[in-house]
Amino acid sequence: MNNRQSIKKQINISEKKNDSVSAAKLITAATCALLAATSVQSLAAEDKGWQVDSAVLLYQEKDRVEAVEPAIRATKKFDNDSILNLKVVVDTLTGASPSGATATDKPVTYTRPSGNGSYITPAGEIPLDDTFKDTRTQLSVGYDAPLGDTSRYSVGLNVSSEFDYESMGISGSWQKDFNQRNTTFMLGLAYASDTIKPKGGIPTPFASMQPAGIDPVREGTDDSKQVTDFIIGLTQVINRNTLMQFNYSYGQSSGYLNDPFKIVSVIDSVTGDTLDNIYEARPEDRTKQSLFWKTKYHTPWSDTVDFSVRLMSDDWGIDSTTLDFKYRWNISPKWYVEPHVRLYSQTSADFYVHSLPDNGPTTAYLSADYRLAEFDATTYGAKVGYKLSERAEFNIRAELYEQTGDSNPGDAIGLQRQQDLYPDLEATILQFGYTFRW
Amino acid sequence: MINTCRNERLDHIMLNSNLHLPKNRHINLVQKNKIWVGMFPAMASDCEIHFANIDRKIAERLTLIAANETWRIQDKFSRYQDDSVISKINTSYQTPFKADIETAALINYAFQCYDISDGLFDITSGVLRKVWRFDGSDNIPTQSEIDQCLPLIGMDKIVWSDQRIQLKKGMEIDFGGIGKEYAVDKALQLCSQHYTCPMMVNFGGDIAANQPPEKNKAWQIGISTLENEKEARSLFELESGGIATSGDTSRFLLKDGIRYSHILNPKTGWSIHDAPHSVTVAANTCTDAGILATIASLQGSDAEGFLKSQEIIFSCQR
Repeated sequence: MNNRQSIKKQINISEKKNDSVSAAKLITAATCALLAATSVQSLAAEDKGWQVDSAVLLYQEKDRVEAVEPAIRATKKFDNDSILNLKVVVDTLTGASPSGATATDKPVTYTRPSGNGSYITPAGEIPLDDTFKDTRTQLSVGYDAPLGDTSRYSVGLNVSSEFDYESMGISGSWQKDFNQRNTTFMLGLAYASDTIKPKGGIPTPFASMQPAGIDPVREGTDDSKQVTDFIIGLTQVINRNTLMQFNYSYGQSSGYLNDPFKIVSVIDSVTGDTLDNIYEARPEDRTKQSLFWKTKYHTPWSDTVDFSVRLMSDDWGIDSTTLDFKYRWNISPKWYVEPHVRLYSQTSADFYVHSLPDNGPTTAYLSADYRLAEFDATTYGAKVGYKLSERAEFNIRAELYEQTGDSNPGDAIGLQRQQDLYPDLEATILQFGYTFRW
Repeated sequence: MINTCRNERLDHIMLNSNLHLPKNRHINLVQKNKIWVGMFPAMASDCEIHFANIDRKIAERLTLIAANETWRIQDKFSRYQDDSVISKINTSYQTPFKADIETAALINYAFQCYDISDGLFDITSGVLRKVWRFDGSDNIPTQSEIDQCLPLIGMDKIVWSDQRIQLKKGMEIDFGGIGKEYAVDKALQLCSQHYTCPMMVNFGGDIAANQPPEKNKAWQIGISTLENEKEARSLFELESGGIATSGDTSRFLLKDGIRYSHILNPKTGWSIHDAPHSVTVAANTCTDAGILATIASLQGSDAEGFLKSQEIIFSCQR
């Protein structure tokens, strides 16, 4: 049966066309069908196609690490309201980072973690180790789809790989709208398994760093860790201009949580001279919890204010607070400027020391990694965006990061009192981004 | 006063230069009492969309949505663009054309109207414009000129199945008879999906509204259908629904005292005798109203009788 015959059957047209009384009613029915059939069309036409976001991030710490990170993400929306996400990120890191050893008043030779070769740190400087420089590639795939009228679910897969580290993870989430879509409730779960295979093997915790050429003390070539994260969230429309989000997350890591390249200096309890450098030892478990609150406010003059607070606490003793503020200033339909300020503060891990006096009690765990110390950090900068067309936008972000810690801790010994045991870290961040739809 | 004008003009420039629209596609916004009116040129008309109870920013966004949708429909079904759907269908005699969802729905609709009107509403009748040139002169075509067109007219000659359409060589289809009214309904539908507020779309006399601007008030619409007429001949109060007008205001031929309107009978190829100068119909949607107005005009002297029997609101000018 071709289309025409089926149409005739549909509207029951009698062979006698004198039935003109019903013509208006028949036309009404036909128009109804037409407008219904074409409404999905209009909506689908808007979002069809791919959207590609690309960016290159340049990160430069003063005298330390430099990173170049190109990233590209492609998103496709389908007619049935599902979304496919593909992302590739490449990280190249060069430069050097504090090894954990203390600053001292004479030049010191340190061995590279691989055991081959060494480097000398001049007097008065914080020892920096450049062994970790590497290139990492990360691939993510995500799929997000509706589940009935008011729910959605998503699944994701992440893999990343670098010379000595591999990670593979999966994630899933479910969300549901209530209250005429003014409230959204979300649950998410993620699991990742990482393998580390450092050059030179896994160092034995507390073992001394051997001079170059001598076999390092090792306990295996590789190790692994597993990370599980759980998140529960609520997004609420407060009024026509305000949106808020609340999240609680719980994360558990277990396995090899040490940094194989980090060491702790053992110092003379009277003079403060460095006597030895030993490998760090962190617990095999870490539990983190955090509370997050974000507010987005649309001003009467069509700008947006974005403010968030995150409180994090873990069972290593680290408590941190993050305050983040962004103001999107829409100068014109083509240009925007978005200044940004972020304030961060954390307490130190229970087992963090800047160095270990040789007469001190033996502890189960030990680390001098500056990232586990007590410190404050401020980030400030701005992003400028330009809409080339309805389909393309170009943006540049420039920010300054400043981190300060305790340069002169109260328990510094002897010559350490003249040293800066936690030099400020300054870094510049520059990012170029380009988004387009086709 | 100069400052306000300048601000308005700046607004207009900002609005349009930043929307990356070509020069003849622009949108403009004015406020009349408490109603924001978005305006844009499309479908050879001054198109307007009226909003009650919203602020300028939203009116601007919704007007842009309505304008883009109208231009989309205009481009898709334009006879003048080689890559439009209509142009592809009109060259389908060699290879059938696979219609997308929207085009298929419109073709099905055209067939339904063809059946309901007993063949008087026929989208293949456009070829007659090659022999009928409505320039106010007395050049009516000869019977043999019309006879050459007749084999190329008739929707029953179209092969339409499985969402594939194929015309015979020389045949043409044209959605001109429903295009503008369809765009009116689509613009209203799309804007209503984006925001809830009273709105009224008016594309040069083809109108649709979703709800009254205020409780116990209606959209006041004056239809003046003869050129150079400043005063409205008919006044409609529209709460919701559609209004469309079919008319021959300036397109006619005059010979030997007989006025030949541009409403042509696709079965005979001749101008309908005694068609009203204009027919305005109110119905559920603008598309409904348009089809009914066209079919009524095709009844010639019986236009009023036909409309009365349909029990719908209308107004005829003769």
